[in-house]
Amino acid sequence: MLRFARKRMLASLVSLVGLVILVFFLVRLTGDPTDLYLPIDATDAMREQFRANNGLNDPLVTQFGRYVWDLLHLDFGDSIRRARPAIDVVLEAFVWTLQLAVITMSLVAVSATVLGSLCAFWAGRLFDRAVTFVSLIGASAPDFWIAIVAIVLFSIHLGWLPTSGTGGWQFWILPVSVLFIRPFGLIVQVVRGSMIGTLSSPYVKTARAKGVKNRPIIFVHTLRNAMLPVVTVMGDQAAALLNGAVVVETIFGFPGVGKLMIDAILQRDFNVILAAIMVTAFAIFLMNLLIDLAYLLLDPRIRA
Amino acid sequence: MKGMSLVLAALLASTAGAFAQANTDVTIVLGEELDLVEPCMATRSNIGRVILENVSETLTELDMKNGGQVAGRLAESWEDQGDGTWRFKLRQNVKFSDGTAFDAEDVKHSLERATSPEISCESSRYFGDTKLSASVVDPTTVDIKAEPAQPILPLLMSVLTIVPAETPIEFTRQPVGTGPYVLSSWTPGQSIVLDRRADYWGQAPAVTKATYVFRSDSAVRAAMVQAGEADLAPSISVLDATNPATDFSYPNSETMYLRVDTSVPPMNDKRVRQALNMAIDRAAFIGSLLPEGTEPAVAIVPPTTLGWNPDIKVPEFDPEGAKKLLEEAKADGVPVDTPIELIGRTDNYPNATEVNEALQAMLQDAGFTVNLRMLEVAEQEKLYSKPYLEGRPPQLLSVLHDNAKGDPVFSAFFKYHSDGRQSGISDPKVDDLITRATAATGEERAKLWSELFATVHDEVVADVLLFHMVGFARVAERISFQPTIATNSQLQLSEIGFKN
Repeated sequence: MLRFARKRMLASLVSLVGLVILVFFLVRLTGDPTDLYLPIDATDAMREQFRANNGLNDPLVTQFGRYVWDLLHLDFGDSIRRARPAIDVVLEAFVWTLQLAVITMSLVAVSATVLGSLCAFWAGRLFDRAVTFVSLIGASAPDFWIAIVAIVLFSIHLGWLPTSGTGGWQFWILPVSVLFIRPFGLIVQVVRGSMIGTLSSPYVKTARAKGVKNRPIIFVHTLRNAMLPVVTVMGDQAAALLNGAVVVETIFGFPGVGKLMIDAILQRDFNVILAAIMVTAFAIFLMNLLIDLAYLLLDPRIRA
Repeated sequence: MKGMSLVLAALLASTAGAFAQANTDVTIVLGEELDLVEPCMATRSNIGRVILENVSETLTELDMKNGGQVAGRLAESWEDQGDGTWRFKLRQNVKFSDGTAFDAEDVKHSLERATSPEISCESSRYFGDTKLSASVVDPTTVDIKAEPAQPILPLLMSVLTIVPAETPIEFTRQPVGTGPYVLSSWTPGQSIVLDRRADYWGQAPAVTKATYVFRSDSAVRAAMVQAGEADLAPSISVLDATNPATDFSYPNSETMYLRVDTSVPPMNDKRVRQALNMAIDRAAFIGSLLPEGTEPAVAIVPPTTLGWNPDIKVPEFDPEGAKKLLEEAKADGVPVDTPIELIGRTDNYPNATEVNEALQAMLQDAGFTVNLRMLEVAEQEKLYSKPYLEGRPPQLLSVLHDNAKGDPVFSAFFKYHSDGRQSGISDPKVDDLITRATAATGEERAKLWSELFATVHDEVVADVLLFHMVGFARVAERISFQPTIATNSQLQLSEIGFKN
């Protein structure tokens, strides 16, 4: 198990290095940050000074060498826009994204697994149809629309929840609910499909013949076997959340990493883009490792 | 189940009550987060709206309530000493928020800091290539010398934020100023809090505490004021300005125009440029794609600017006349059939795409061949500023220009001088007028600017001036606040009052 983890980490490290090289040069293709940082009517002297202060006049290779050298000392460089260490800016935002992702995915995992299993058990009945109908709407409705409608309904008309921002637990309800809908709709369907297949396997029939009750059949005997494809899709959805939820962050004024990254790209704040990509990539590698380990736990055949 | 939802509703309602605030505290919701709180960057509108004249003050300020006069703030008076030097008498008994006293040394250091090559302070852009130096005469008197002489030096001092002489030459995260408020907390991405100072030199403003929050979505900003979570959203989209009781329009100092590069055929022919102007039905935009209150423009600066010329007339909408002019030009061998690129910027203002599509349609109706391209800010900027690309097709850049500073000098050179970074013309008479107006003072200055506007508009036909834009603010009913043309770049908390 440890050897497996070590091997995966090493492979991930190689990808991370490749990613840094690729992004470092790609972002510089977008142009010179000077044009966006300084006002349109800045003098040439101001522009020249700005480039010199930020090391933008050096050849690309020199800039890259300096970046790597600093990186080896765990210095991710300063944000041009914010005049402070890029990694501080990114970690501040990532903490919010991580909380949002963890809360949302936990709720999705529990509710989608339970409801999806029940749908499979009652396949074709009213309950199944109702849940499928709702989950399909959820998976296909645009989230910015849901978010705005939710604000109008719950904050303005009913006055129950704050429109946006951060603070106590009530500030989390709308963003988490909006983020919840899409992965929930998708995963319910995956659980349902996988469970229907498993429920018709011979060992379930045997268990039934032996008189095992419905609840243990669903949640003890079949669910574990049906979970492998579900875990894969969940990992995929969680990775998307870790990359930041731009729409939700924008509308609810949630200071996460998605909007930070978009802003950094638009402002050509290279060090922030790189730090954000490294942090999220690292988190996603870690999560993939956890998923692989979950496979090992769920299916003894993989361990062999 | 019903009981449970009632309990839940009651619980939520009780926590919502916790958002209410003290009577004299306000929450202001801005569209763009501040990445810096550095006073010398306060000419950026998002930073200026929080810092300028609230935390950091200037020697002078532009008094928009009284017709855009230059008024004293930290300076009590000033006079021209000749030779490019102005002498400023400073206000006495003024203290910074860290307790130190304000004097001439602070002014000298603030000027040196703002123009230092070690940091890129945005306020220095207003000084252009003028070299400014300060010398201390006595603790309450400072001489500021401009090379070359700068007749509007007192106006320029309205962008120089004053910091204590001990402030290091690097961007600060804890600004110290002489203003009525002190920055007491800054949580990046979430909020900034200003608290009223007890030892401010001037009259104490009514607002005791201001919390700034940031929401990039206009609908959410408007909703926050409606839901009582915020008291003021200084900028919302016209689409969200739906409540006449709380939503006010104000001239936002932006002017929309089509920048024409007159060196590229067929734009080098004056008749073609006249035809462009005649092809556009300006009145049709107002109250439809653009909000009521938008004014047709005849100059690149808003009407509150020095030297505004009331005699210039908006070009009449005359597509037939435009067609005739194009035919005449064509008969003289001007390639009027060359496809022209109309280059807009996505989300530059509400309905930007629709406005540019309408412009395209109107130009085509008058006989032009126009292709519309909507670009991102950085892409458009590449085409907007010199050096222009070699071999470029004829282009019309659909852009906004902002000048809330009351003097055309901040626009004229860049937009119309042969060496201006975004100028599409090269005209010796225009160059001469700009040079003379820049050096002139008083009535002579106003007269020369007036003449420049008439020349550019009627003689040279340099571009297609379109509209002076308006912005919208949503103001909660419990506070009184009147947005003005200055609201785009600053938001003085001292101008906010309470109705009860």
